[in-house]
Amino acid sequence: MSVRNAILGLLSQKPQHGYRLRSAFESLVGGKEIWDVKPAQIYTTLARLEESGLVRQDCVDQDAGPEKRVYSLTPEGRKELASWFAAGVEEERQRDEFFVKLMLSMRAEGVDPATVIQAQRGTLYREMHDLTSRRTKADPKRELATIFLLDKTLMHIEADLRWLDMVEARLDDMDRQTSITPAARPRGRPRKSS
Amino acid sequence: MSLVKAENLTKIYGSGEAAVTALDHVRLSVDAGEFVAIMGPSGCGKSTLLHLLGGLDRPTEGSVAIDGEELTGLPDTALAELRRRKIGFVFQFYNLIPVLNATENAALPLLLDGVHASAANGRGAEWLSKVGLPDRAKHRPSQLSGGQQQRVAIARALVAAPSLVLADEPTGNLDTHSSDEIAALLRRVADEWGRAVIMVTHDPRIAAYADRIVFLKDGTIVDETKLKGAGDAQALKARVERLAR
Repeated sequence: MSVRNAILGLLSQKPQHGYRLRSAFESLVGGKEIWDVKPAQIYTTLARLEESGLVRQDCVDQDAGPEKRVYSLTPEGRKELASWFAAGVEEERQRDEFFVKLMLSMRAEGVDPATVIQAQRGTLYREMHDLTSRRTKADPKRELATIFLLDKTLMHIEADLRWLDMVEARLDDMDRQTSITPAARPRGRPRKSS
Repeated sequence: MSLVKAENLTKIYGSGEAAVTALDHVRLSVDAGEFVAIMGPSGCGKSTLLHLLGGLDRPTEGSVAIDGEELTGLPDTALAELRRRKIGFVFQFYNLIPVLNATENAALPLLLDGVHASAANGRGAEWLSKVGLPDRAKHRPSQLSGGQQQRVAIARALVAAPSLVLADEPTGNLDTHSSDEIAALLRRVADEWGRAVIMVTHDPRIAAYADRIVFLKDGTIVDETKLKGAGDAQALKARVERLAR
C-alpha cells in the first residue's frame, strides 16, 4: 500500500520514468538502508495503477521497457491521492514473539515470568540506547526521514517498556492474592437432623 | 577508583511498628564520566537514594564517599561545604531565582561561596555558552522556556566544577523535544566534561541515554542493565535496517 501511494504522490509532483521512481522513493524515505524496494515491485505496481486508470503512460517509444516509459497521473489518480492524504491510516497490528514467550513462561515449569520480563527489558533498553546514539548523530538537514523513523521506533519501544511495567505490576498483584490461603470449606453431606 | 561509593546505604523513617525502610543496604558505585539512571516504581526509594548520595539527608546506616571523601559523620557545615565543592544538583522544577537573570543564576553557587561578582558572573556566562544559551545571558527565568531554564540549571550545577552531578527527574516538567535536549546535554556532562552523572527518572526514553540503569524496588536494587558498549557498528546497522520491517 505504501509503495502504491508513494508512486501516486511522486507522480503528482511531475511525470517520471519508471527507473527514476525507484530512486525517488528511496530518497523520500531516507535511503536504501531504510527501505530497499525492488524494481519489479515498482513496475508491477505501475502496471496495476495503469489498469485501474490512476496512472497513464505518455507517448513514448512503445518498444522500450517499462523503465524507459514516462508515467503520469490521471485526474482519477489525483482524486485518489487527495482522498488518501485526507484519510487517517489504521495502525498495523504485528504478531509479537515476546507476547507468546510471556504467556508460555506463566505455564512452563522452571521458567520464571519475572526473569523473562527482566531479560526483555534489558534488550529493549539496549536497543533504545543504540538507536538514541544514532539519532543524536543524525543531521536534521540531510537525514530528516531517518530521524522521524528513529523517533517513531524509540517511542514504540518506550510503549513496550511501559507495558512491561504494567505486566509486572499485574503479576505482582496476582502473587499477592494467591498467597492468601482460602478458608477450608466444609466437606461431605450435612448431617441429618432427626 | 570509583568517584561515588555507597555501601550498605540504609534509611529508615519512624520507629518500632511504624518504621518504614525506604532504602535497604544499597550498594552503588559510579565512575567519573559515567552516566547512570536510577528507575523504579513510586516509593521504591530512588529519591531517598539520590538525597543520601548528595548529602542532603543522612543515612540510618551505611556510608557515602565522593571522590574519596566520606560524607557520613561530617558535621553540618563541613557537609554543606563538601556539597558546594563536589556536587551539582539539577531538579525537576529548575529551582531558579526569579529575580536574577540567567548569568546570575548560573553564577549563584560561586557567589554564595564568596567569589567576586565579576569573576563569578564570568564563569556563569562561560557555562551558559557551553550549554547552548549564549544569547540568553540577561534573560530572567520568566522569559525562558522550560528547556532553557533547565539548561541554566545545568550550567549552575557545573559552575563550581563539581565531580558529581545529581539530577532528580530533570525532564519531568518538559515536553518530549526539550526532554531529549536535556538528556543529550547530561550525556555531554559525562562524555565531554568528565563528571559522574546520576539521574533519577521514570521516563524510559530518557533513561536510555545513560550507560547503565539501576532498577530499585522496595528499597533494594533488583536489577542492573548495562547499555553502553552493548552495540557495535554492525549490530547498529542491523537494528536500523530492521526499522524497514
